[in-house]
Amino acid sequence: MAAQMWRVVSIYRVITLVYAAVLIIRDSGSYAHPAGGWAVLAIMTAWTGVTVAEYRRPAGREAWVIATDLCVAAALIISTRWIETAARVSAGAPTIPSAWAAAPVLACAVAGGPWAGLASGLLISVADLAEHPALPAGSTFSGTVLLLIAGGVSGYLVRLGLRAEAEIERAARLDAAARERERLARGIHDSVLQILALVSSRGGALGGEAAELGRLAGEQEAALRALLADESQPDLPPGLLDVRSLVEPFADARITVSCPATPVLLPAVTATGLSGAVTAALDNVVRHAGPDARAWVLVEDEGWQVRVSVRDDGAGFKDGRLAEAADEGRLGVSHSIVGRLREVGGTACLTSTPELGTEVELRVGRT
Amino acid sequence: MSGEPDQATAASRPVRVLIVDDHPIWREGAARYLAEAGFTIAGTAGDGAQALRISAATRPDVVLLDLNLPDQGGDEVTRGLLAAHPSLHVLMLSASGARQDVLDCVTAGAVGYVLKSAQLTELVAAVRSASVGQPVFTSELAGLVLGEYRRLAGPGGATAPAVSGRRSAMERSPAPQLTDRETEVLRLVAKGLTYPQISERLTLSTRTVQNHVGNTLTKLQLHNKAQLVRYAMENGVD
Repeated sequence: MAAQMWRVVSIYRVITLVYAAVLIIRDSGSYAHPAGGWAVLAIMTAWTGVTVAEYRRPAGREAWVIATDLCVAAALIISTRWIETAARVSAGAPTIPSAWAAAPVLACAVAGGPWAGLASGLLISVADLAEHPALPAGSTFSGTVLLLIAGGVSGYLVRLGLRAEAEIERAARLDAAARERERLARGIHDSVLQILALVSSRGGALGGEAAELGRLAGEQEAALRALLADESQPDLPPGLLDVRSLVEPFADARITVSCPATPVLLPAVTATGLSGAVTAALDNVVRHAGPDARAWVLVEDEGWQVRVSVRDDGAGFKDGRLAEAADEGRLGVSHSIVGRLREVGGTACLTSTPELGTEVELRVGRT
Repeated sequence: MSGEPDQATAASRPVRVLIVDDHPIWREGAARYLAEAGFTIAGTAGDGAQALRISAATRPDVVLLDLNLPDQGGDEVTRGLLAAHPSLHVLMLSASGARQDVLDCVTAGAVGYVLKSAQLTELVAAVRSASVGQPVFTSELAGLVLGEYRRLAGPGGATAPAVSGRRSAMERSPAPQLTDRETEVLRLVAKGLTYPQISERLTLSTRTVQNHVGNTLTKLQLHNKAQLVRYAMENGVD
């Protein structure tokens, strides 16, 4: 970015050198000292060569080079006083270096920002005024104003550009760091998961206290697995939720959650209502099917509707015993499930087979 | 299933297992335990390339394959193993149960997958089923397979977007479909019912239930194979 700006300064300098040369060739006949005009052109050409070379490399952009640049430009402006005739100067003839003298102002602005640009613009303007024997005409004033604006504004723009560039670089660095952290975390998560899985499966086989340790490891293993599954999800469209990421965390040693491999998207309100109903259904299992009962949650996306089934392997009951179930408070819970689903436009249905447990099927339509 | 002749000899000849896992603790632990349970350990490998070499040398009956290997994806290794030795059976072992990876491996030809946190008795049972080509269907896998059929049947994948670009480019041949019975059976498996429970509920023989389950997997695998061939031909891969 900085290198490009310095190149712009050099391009400006070369173009304005050509412009100044054209003016000198055209006007040299009417100069008081034409040889002086040619000398100034020679100095400008030489100095252009020096600065283009110097400003190309960062080491050449030192303060003293830029200061010398300014002094050369100022001196050449003031030399106009001896080279031009007094009459032409008073009539508003351009200075010998003309627009070329603004190049060091741009250099200052690029190197030092808006204030340096403004200050150097002021210096060149002072040289412009000093060139005139009397108070100058309006055109020089507007030239002064233009110089000041050019110095200040380009300095400001350069700073803005550099800051934007630094900001982008910083963001890219942060992004890379985050990705690296993520990569490391994946490795660590995987190792931890492997060990937890090992402890959980071996502990269960050993029995006794080891089985308890295994059970604890198994709980953490399921939680970490759910977390990792959630992390790997792509960004969702706004307002939608993946039902899987809401239901997955229920999985533990006794609850198995089965889902499709692709996201099951529902409007956020519907998805939350559905997962609330799943929570209620699982509470129901714990309360009525006994602490040892296992449960299975199946999420299905049928396109036009999403179906979530919650089945337990508890004792279950005959349909004829529904009244009895109601007395036990079991139906009450199912009513609360039905209520939750109705709020989001879904239906729930409770079926039970003796010996095969109880199943709650929740359906929500897609509109 | 291809395991019919094996079944008769299964009792007399020990099942040879190759264990492929990049975690040494796991590899050694599983090897020791499976040996204790009466299996012969044909070898162990730490990555996919090694697995291909060792399986060529030792000809195992079952390859117990970790889903996440450092060098290749589980589906790639599965395809490579089965291409070289069509008679062996690949059983996936996964710590994370990453759904798409599991599904990719199963459609590539694996007979099923076991979570690493499964009880060792479950692991033994799974390896035993795998050794006779019997699909190892957990309820999670049933959920994944159901979802995959629905994704394939839908317009460009049910309502959900296809996960990888390669898939969507490949899906142009008619999607495989489940019969009503197969769907019914799969849903019951996904809800945690055992085969005997399912056969009781649907008044089918356990054998028929097993066949239905096996068919759902075979159809997916055939579809996947056909798609790969089509993809290879369209893209000029020999």
